[in-house]
Amino acid sequence: MAAAISWEDARDQLKKWREESARRSAETLELGEFVLTNHRGLGDEVWAVHEQVCIAALDVGDIAEASSAIDALKAQFPQSKRVKRLQGMKLEAQGRFDDAKLVYEELLKEDSSNAMIRKRLVAIFKAQDRIPDAIKELMKYLESFMADHEAWLELSELYIQEQHYSKAAFCLEELIMSNPHNHLFHQKYAEIRYTQGGTESMEIARKYFAQAVKLNSNNIRALYGLFLAATHLASSQKGTAKSKKDNIRYAAWASQQLQHRYRLAERKESEPQVQHLEKMIDSLQITAS
Amino acid sequence: MATFSGFILAVGFLGLAHAGYSAAQHRTYLRLTEQEFTRLPIDIVCQGLVSLLITIYGVLNIAGQFRGIKAMADMEKKSFDTVGNRPSFFMFRHRGQAMFGLNPTGNKNVETLEPAT
Repeated sequence: MAAAISWEDARDQLKKWREESARRSAETLELGEFVLTNHRGLGDEVWAVHEQVCIAALDVGDIAEASSAIDALKAQFPQSKRVKRLQGMKLEAQGRFDDAKLVYEELLKEDSSNAMIRKRLVAIFKAQDRIPDAIKELMKYLESFMADHEAWLELSELYIQEQHYSKAAFCLEELIMSNPHNHLFHQKYAEIRYTQGGTESMEIARKYFAQAVKLNSNNIRALYGLFLAATHLASSQKGTAKSKKDNIRYAAWASQQLQHRYRLAERKESEPQVQHLEKMIDSLQITAS
Repeated sequence: MATFSGFILAVGFLGLAHAGYSAAQHRTYLRLTEQEFTRLPIDIVCQGLVSLLITIYGVLNIAGQFRGIKAMADMEKKSFDTVGNRPSFFMFRHRGQAMFGLNPTGNKNVETLEPAT
């Protein structure tokens, strides 16, 4: 891959991945090594690339590569806590959690409000499969950093792992409140409600899927969710005749939208997919009722 | 429609230009007759305002359809694959090491990584 693209493209691709925090570690490592062969061209960006490569290397278990990246960063920033954090992360990747924890606690002694380091403590608990401890630690963290979206999302994910769906839903509610136009949070919230089940939750799920579709009409996942939730509600025992009729209408609309989207996509591809989709939607209806 | 609003726009601009010219003319007349300038005659002011409205109407029609402002246009293309990633909480105890790192052949290349048969 690296040989096929130019140096500029590789640099831009890395930058894009860095900004949207994509976790494509193997590719990042490969592109990063390629980009760093000409590190003069990067200017000050070179340190960001080193950090990115270091984390990617840890992700794929390439300790040697990570070490060399850390050494390069350490030579430039000998006092940096961010570099020390990378060293701690290296210990984590090696499975030396207690040592990593010592490193982090040492750093926190100097500056107890370092958000990056406190998040690593949560990650250690997570890596040790101590999810309840991770939740506790993260809640302590959120008491001081309430505006941290990433942390709320993480907390909801941890709750989902523990199957505390209502608590996970609460975290998503916080995220929606601070970010009401983000269709993905609406979609995620609806998914949690859908997982919870029950008529009431299912209705909330349907509404939030609908809101996600409204915010971004290309959100296929939310369209599927809307279809499934509406179908489920239409076929449930409870509910008035009117609500059932409405739900059938919503499901029909969602499936029609899905078919429309697939047809649009089909123009670009040669394989006919709409037939498969129609069949699948039929089968989904059968299982739901 | 486009030609009509173009015409409207032209009329508006002409009206504005004419109002401006009249105002200049009025000032010259006052200077020649050595009168004190107090304010512009009401008809010139009216012409200026009406022409302005006509120009606005013409511009609005000629500029084409309005488009909605999307609050989260940059979110549109994103999916949970990247937004759901939480880089500060990455942990490294996962299959990555088995797939790429501690592999004795040490092959890090993605493309040559075939699933074990």
